[in-house]
Amino acid sequence: MADRGLWVYCVARAGDPLPERLPGVDPGHATERIEQGTLAALVSGVALAEYGEEALQRNLNDLAWLERVARAHEAALERALAGATLVPLRLCTIFDDAAGVRAMLDERGAELSAALDALAGREEWTVKLLVDRDALERAARADASGPEADAAAGSGAAYMLGRRRDREVREHAGRLAAGLAGEAHERLREAAVAAVLGRPQNRRLSGHDGDMVLNAAYLVERGAVPRLRALVAELEARHGGLGARLEMRGPLPPYNFVPEGAPA
Amino acid sequence: MSEQALAHQDVALVDLIDRLLGSGVVIAGDITLSVADVDLVYVGLRALVSSVATAVGEEPLLPR
Repeated sequence: MADRGLWVYCVARAGDPLPERLPGVDPGHATERIEQGTLAALVSGVALAEYGEEALQRNLNDLAWLERVARAHEAALERALAGATLVPLRLCTIFDDAAGVRAMLDERGAELSAALDALAGREEWTVKLLVDRDALERAARADASGPEADAAAGSGAAYMLGRRRDREVREHAGRLAAGLAGEAHERLREAAVAAVLGRPQNRRLSGHDGDMVLNAAYLVERGAVPRLRALVAELEARHGGLGARLEMRGPLPPYNFVPEGAPA
Repeated sequence: MSEQALAHQDVALVDLIDRLLGSGVVIAGDITLSVADVDLVYVGLRALVSSVATAVGEEPLLPR
């Protein structure tokens, strides 16, 4: 039985350059290309002792292992992206040998070609919108100004009223945040040919400051990237009072804009 | 605006895992690791993510 398999990073057009002879996810094996018809796959060998079926079940549950492999996969994709339109594959797509990869390129060729056509000349960019919760609540409080809060100071009624107002302020701040996220997304998609909304991330995990209210991906014609950038700057300037910060990243391997087909 | 160059940037792990496991073309390789297994790991990771959020008592800002 073979002791290595082939890890596939992405599929591109056969004529496009791919980053070959660089360290792969398994550092002992370099990247190489496998062509079949009009398509090419970027692959590298992986030791089955670490990437075989049983080992994978175990390793995928080891966060440190998963992180190392995910970063290596992403790094190869980003290098490939510099020279080619590509369809990125899900992490841990592994074949027995080159014949298996070629068979896959044949079987899924039509779907992969269509995906490459749809992505040609376009780039995936992500935009995260972060706001300052205190600034939003201040704005919400200003909107809800009224004299009754102090009217019966010290009484139980005032306490209940204060509680209610605090809750209303929080709810209003949430609506302001949602409105801001909606406005930003509507504007940004004007510059895009397609858009995907993701879940806003928790700050403890992603390490950002502020509350994330929009986590979106946009597929943009290469020539429209400056427009996207200008919109981001404009939105940030307009809503600076609410602590709005927009983080724009790209171009990224277009994971959000390839068909999520069922396995062949 | 804080737009950073991609190269050598320390991308948040959650972001990365989200992209690499949660989206993209699914092609069944010879070594399966079935899609269901990947989903299990992914779901497990997301559960971890949620439990951390709960543990620190963060209330979501956005109305749900």
